[in-house]
Amino acid sequence: MDTAKYVALFASESRENLAAINQALLALEKRPDATESVNELFRAVHTLKGMSGVMGPGYAGVAELAHELESLLSLVRDGTRIANADTVELLFAAADALEQAIEQAIAGQDAASKDTVAPVLQRLRATNEWAAPVQEIAAAAAAATQLQGNGYHITVKLSPDAALPGVRGIMVLQRAASLGTVHASRPDQAALSGDWKGDTIELRLETGADTRAVEEAIRDVGDVRDVQVARPMASSADDVRARQRSDDAWERAESRRGQAVNVRIDLRRLDALVNLVGELVIARGRLTQLSGEIMHSELDDAVGHAARLIGELQDAVMASRLVPVWQIFDRFPRVVRDAARALGKDVEFLVEGREIEVDRSLLDQLGDPLIHLLRNAVDHGIEAPDVRAAAGKPRTGRLILSAARDRASIMLTVTDDGRGVDRANILRKARALGMPEGELAELSDEQVLRVIARPGFSTAAQVSDYSGRGVGMDAVLSRVRGLGGSMELETAPGQGTSLKLRLPATLAIVPALLTRVATETYALPLTHVQETLHLTPDVVRAVRGRDVLVLRDEFLPLVRLRDVVQLPVRDAEGSQVVVIEVADRRAGVVVDQLIGQQEIVVKTFDTVRGAASCVTGATILSDGSPALILEATSLL
Amino acid sequence: MSQSVLICDDAIFMRTMLADILQQAGFDVVGEAETGAQAVARYRELRPDLVTMDIVMPDMGGIDAVREITKLDPAARILMCSAMGQQALVIEAIQAGAKDFVVKPFQPSRVLEAIQRVLS
Repeated sequence: MDTAKYVALFASESRENLAAINQALLALEKRPDATESVNELFRAVHTLKGMSGVMGPGYAGVAELAHELESLLSLVRDGTRIANADTVELLFAAADALEQAIEQAIAGQDAASKDTVAPVLQRLRATNEWAAPVQEIAAAAAAATQLQGNGYHITVKLSPDAALPGVRGIMVLQRAASLGTVHASRPDQAALSGDWKGDTIELRLETGADTRAVEEAIRDVGDVRDVQVARPMASSADDVRARQRSDDAWERAESRRGQAVNVRIDLRRLDALVNLVGELVIARGRLTQLSGEIMHSELDDAVGHAARLIGELQDAVMASRLVPVWQIFDRFPRVVRDAARALGKDVEFLVEGREIEVDRSLLDQLGDPLIHLLRNAVDHGIEAPDVRAAAGKPRTGRLILSAARDRASIMLTVTDDGRGVDRANILRKARALGMPEGELAELSDEQVLRVIARPGFSTAAQVSDYSGRGVGMDAVLSRVRGLGGSMELETAPGQGTSLKLRLPATLAIVPALLTRVATETYALPLTHVQETLHLTPDVVRAVRGRDVLVLRDEFLPLVRLRDVVQLPVRDAEGSQVVVIEVADRRAGVVVDQLIGQQEIVVKTFDTVRGAASCVTGATILSDGSPALILEATSLL
Repeated sequence: MSQSVLICDDAIFMRTMLADILQQAGFDVVGEAETGAQAVARYRELRPDLVTMDIVMPDMGGIDAVREITKLDPAARILMCSAMGQQALVIEAIQAGAKDFVVKPFQPSRVLEAIQRVLS
């Protein structure tokens, strides 16, 4: 083949590749662990090698240099060689030589080209071979094992529901070790001893036992779904070496990952993803609605399929945001200890359910409220040791924070075994704050909570440094409500207090009922919507000057959303009622019009003082218009 | 003859529950212990076919009890009963000679599966 006519092309393209090589080398020098630089180098050198090979004998020096350079890069790439200063310097020298040799080859100076590469070639070979003997010894050992016929590569799959998979993995290794020598495993023992949550363990075992015996022994460990025992095949020393090399890289990669088989992702990217999925869910709603109107069966199928996929995508993206609660719980023991010490209390703090997973953004917003509740419990719940002893209780108080999953909700409970809430005291303070007397006759747990969660209550009542930092129960409650959750209090005098927060497991996308008042659209999360009905004169009755809704012999308070959001009054004709329910409380909310049901992407914002406290967030609807999200609890 | 079991747990509730599960499955609960020290003493006296061992107990914990019992009888069959979040302790117990573990809250089927493995 006459390659002369390709010389110009070769020249321009090899210069591009040389430029790329130099750029990648500079990047590698700055960041020796930058795998993308190594990959880029490898690619460019590999291209040069291929090109110069085609160009013919005049380019032999270039091809040879490129080949050795590529070998070194592959060692760096799989981690056998570290890209330290020496290596980078050698790579630079090789790149320079490559450039010069290429120019010489293009100019037809074959001999000069070979001379140029010779010294660098020698250095490269020395380096590459330096790495080789280590591998050859290992390969020889592996080959020897091979000959005796007792090396196994074992893959163990644990049952997906195995409890403490890491412990099970260690039992697998232990069992294997009882049969012979375990040479390597991934994950290794240290990783398994950490909080390993995987389901596949691979290991290399040298043993005289036969395949069946090995398989049976490992199966006996329990919670094992599948065992594969393979004898590594190796036809030549080259293969052994190649595998050895990739195995080593494999193990190094694994040991880097060992601690946590995770990828770090910037939370903002995850949020962006969630937002996009949210928009997609909204678009799905619109699409489904349109295809329903068009009534075309093939279109319906296609839309249905896409809708299912979007649903799965939504689930997967939401799952990627889940993190175990210990990520914030683990700083609480210190908080409790400090509070107990400052207040002269003895407190034993227990955490339950620290592995429960919740949405990352939810978790972030729960830290402060939980700290408040814990401090509150140490300060006002748990008594001083002497007081406890006098009451016949252990001197050390007990404070338990527990997390549990209940279908789509997360329950967080703070329980203390302290004195309980003093109802008489609450009553006095509530009167002092001028709360309506009617509500105060006999306080149920729920009413106690409502009283202590009044804005201004805690600052008026608290005296200590610890829980009276301006963040009262009202702040906790409003945060919890803002997250779409609710709070329950249980208290018994002398026995303790328990506060239970119930929160939705995910925040970002919720199904909601869209309603209209005047020209504004309001969304009510469906979790709190019980039913809807027409507002006809016969369902409204005036009781003590206030309108109530008569619903199947029950009287419910009637709230006009128009008043709540302070829009000008208008005739109530044609209005609708949405019956909302939170815990066991219900109310009828009067709106002008019901628009329909839709999944909305919640964008929360902190309630500004003075703003309508019933609004917790906003959303963009599928037609692009904004809507405010109503917080059901505050409407009751 | 049904196989004999010694149940070691400091909570009566857990002992009762385990005893129910085991008796229903035809095991003979020959003794109970509420501390590690008691567990060792009762093992010496009863030589049961199986021991269920809580990890955290007063007066010698379950792991030390496993060590002592295995010293007495290297073939002892001990099943650890662990609460969530005790992974490191479970590993220690297994390394000390326990044969298997179950995690609270107990599911009877899982407990019996584990027992079968330990006894096989």
